Amino acid sequence: MIKKVTVPFFVLLLMCGVGCGESVPTVKIGFVAPLTGDQAPHGEDMLNAAQLAIQHAQAEGAVLPGYQLELVALDDQRNPTQAVSAAKKLVSDKAVMAAIGHLNSSCTMPASAIYYQAGLLNITPVSSNPQISQQGFSTFYRTCATDDLQGPAAARFAINALNARSIFIIDDMTTYGRGLADAYQRELEKLGGTVLGHEGLAQGDKDFVPLLTKIKSMNPDLVYFAGMFPEGALLIKQHFELGMNSQFMGGDGLYDPVLIELATPEAAEGVIITTIGVDVHQLETARAFVKEYEETYGPIGAYSAYTYEATKIAIWAIRQAGVMDRSAVLDAMKNLKDYPGLFGLQNFDEHGDSLIRDIGIFEVRDGTFVSIKSLRFE
Amino acid sequence: MTASQLFLQQLSNGLTLGSIYALIALGYTMIYGVIQLINFAHGEVFIVGAYAALCVMSMTSLQAVMPWWLLLGLAIVVAMFVSALLGWVMERLAYRPLRTAPRLNALITAIGMSFFLQNALMLIFGATDRSFPNWVPAVRWDIGGVTLTLMHIIIWVSSALMMLGLHFLVMKTQLGMAMRATSQDQKACYLLGIPVNRIISMTFMIGAVFASVGGVLFGLNYGTINFHDGYMMGLKAFTAAVLGGIGNLPGAMIGGLVLGILESMGAGYLSSQWKNVFAFVILVIILIFKPRGLLGERVAERA
Repeated sequence: MIKKVTVPFFVLLLMCGVGCGESVPTVKIGFVAPLTGDQAPHGEDMLNAAQLAIQHAQAEGAVLPGYQLELVALDDQRNPTQAVSAAKKLVSDKAVMAAIGHLNSSCTMPASAIYYQAGLLNITPVSSNPQISQQGFSTFYRTCATDDLQGPAAARFAINALNARSIFIIDDMTTYGRGLADAYQRELEKLGGTVLGHEGLAQGDKDFVPLLTKIKSMNPDLVYFAGMFPEGALLIKQHFELGMNSQFMGGDGLYDPVLIELATPEAAEGVIITTIGVDVHQLETARAFVKEYEETYGPIGAYSAYTYEATKIAIWAIRQAGVMDRSAVLDAMKNLKDYPGLFGLQNFDEHGDSLIRDIGIFEVRDGTFVSIKSLRFE
Repeated sequence: MTASQLFLQQLSNGLTLGSIYALIALGYTMIYGVIQLINFAHGEVFIVGAYAALCVMSMTSLQAVMPWWLLLGLAIVVAMFVSALLGWVMERLAYRPLRTAPRLNALITAIGMSFFLQNALMLIFGATDRSFPNWVPAVRWDIGGVTLTLMHIIIWVSSALMMLGLHFLVMKTQLGMAMRATSQDQKACYLLGIPVNRIISMTFMIGAVFASVGGVLFGLNYGTINFHDGYMMGLKAFTAAVLGGIGNLPGAMIGGLVLGILESMGAGYLSSQWKNVFAFVILVIILIFKPRGLLGERVAERA
C-alpha cells in the first residue's frame, strides 16, 4: 500500500527535479533590511527601490549571457543576530553575486565580516557608522556619507544657525546612534557649546517622560536625538506634551514621513533633522528615478535612492565581470570609475566609502519635511 | 524647577506608568491565585485590547455619528469584550486540558500561547507601529510647578476605580467568595457544589478586562502601539506582581505602582539607560529580604 503511494510521489519529485534543471540559470542579488518590526517602513522603501533597480536592469538586457537576474530579499528585523544568519544564508547560495544591505549599522557591522569571509561583494546603502569601513574589508562598499560628517555638520548647524548654546544629547545605544551622538558631541564641544548631558535610551521603549522631565529642569536650548524614528516620534511627542520650549533636532534615522504621523504633526512642527545625502527631489540626475518611484510606490523613502544606487552598482559590477565568479565581481568593482549614478559621478575611496559626501538639513513644516540646506563635502 | 518640584513631577510620571502596570499585574496575580499558572500570554491580552479599541476608533462611519467620548467609551467596551473572550478561549482550549498535568506543561503552553498571539497580531495588523488616536483634550494644569495633564488624571482615576471595583467584587460578592474559595482548595470547592471550572473561566475573563483597559490607556497615553508591546509590558507587569507578592491582589496594585515609580526615579535621577537595571536591582533586593514579595505574608496561608 505504502509503495503504491510513494512511487508516483517519487516520480513526481523526479520530474520536478528535471524540470527545475531545465530552467534558465539565475544570478542572484541578495538584499537584507528590516522588513518586519518597528523599522519595517524604512525596509520597505529600500526593498521597493531594489526591486525597481532589478526591473531596470532586466529591461537593459541579460546581466550575464544566458542567466536570469533575481532578487533575494531577507529580513533582519534590525536585529544583529538575525542579520548574521541572513548573511550566512546569502553567502551559502553560490548563485548570489552581491549583497545589498543592511539598514542598521549594528547589523551591517557583523554581517560585513560574513560577506568578507565569503568574498562576496557587500554594498550598504545607508549604514552610516564610520567604523564599518575601517575594518579593512575589501568586499565592503557604501553609497552614503558617514556619521563623522553628519554629526559635526549637525553640530555646526545647531551652534551657528540655530544659536543653541546649551544642548542635551540622547542616543539609542546602538552602533549608529552612539556613533552619531559622539561625533556630534565632539564637534559641539570644539565649537564651545555646552553639553548638559548625554544619555541613552533603549530601543522599543515607550516612556521617555522621566528622562525628558529631567532635561526640562535643565532648560536646554536644544535636545538632540541620534536614533531611529519609532523612538524619535515618541520623544518628539512627549517633548511637546511636557510643554518644553527647547528646539528638537535629530539624525537621518528620523527621516521618514511616519515620524510625523506617529509624533502628530502638531508636535513635530519645527523639528530639525539632518540626512546623509541631499533631498533627492533637487537632483537633476535622479529626476527620472524619483518620478518613476513615486508613481509606482508613493512618496519616496529616505533610503530608497541609496538602495537603488547600491543595487545598480552591484549589477554593473556583475556585468563587467561577465562570469559567475565572486572574485571577478570584486575585481570589477575595484575598477569602478565615474559611474553615472543618481547623485552624480560615483567613485569610492580605498575603504569603499563613496566620495559623494552630501548632508541635507530638513525642517518639519506643516506636517512635511522641507529641505532647508544642502551641504557637499569634498 | 526646584528639586522638590522635580521629585513630585517624577512621582506623577511614575504613578502614570505604574497604574498601567498595576492593571495588567492584577490579571497575572488573579490567575496565579486560582490555578498557580503564570499566564505569559497575559501581555498579549493587554495589547489585543488596545488593537480592538483602535479598530473601533478608526471606523469613520462611527466617527461621523458619535461624539468622541461616546466612541471612546464604545471602544473601551469592545476592547473589554474582545479581551474577555480571548481570555475565556485561551483558558478553555489551552489551559483547561492541562489542569491535571505537571505545572511546567501549562507554563510552556502559556509561553507558546504568547508567541502564537504575537505572531497572529503581526499577521493581522502588520509589523509596524500603528498610531493610536488620542481624543482626550490636551488640558494641562500647573499646580505648584508640577504639570498634570488630563490624560494622567484619567489614567489614575480610572485605574483606581477599577481596582476598588475589583476589591469589592472579590471581597463582597458571591463570585468573589467562590474565587477565593477556589484559590484555597479546589477539591473542597467541588464537594461544596462550587462550579470551579466556571469560576476559573471568570477569573481569566476578569483579568483580561483589566488588561484591556490598561491597553486602551497605554494606547491613548503613548499614541503608538505595536504587536510586541504586549511582551515587554507583560514582562514588567509580571515583575510588578512578583514584587508585590504573586497571588495577592493589593500586592499587584502596590507592586505596579512601586515598579512604575522606581523606573521613573531611576531614569530621572540616575540615567535613563540604566532604567530597567535600576528597577530590577531593586526587585532583587526586595526579593532577597522578602522572598514572597512586599505583601507576601498573606500568600503563606495558601502554600
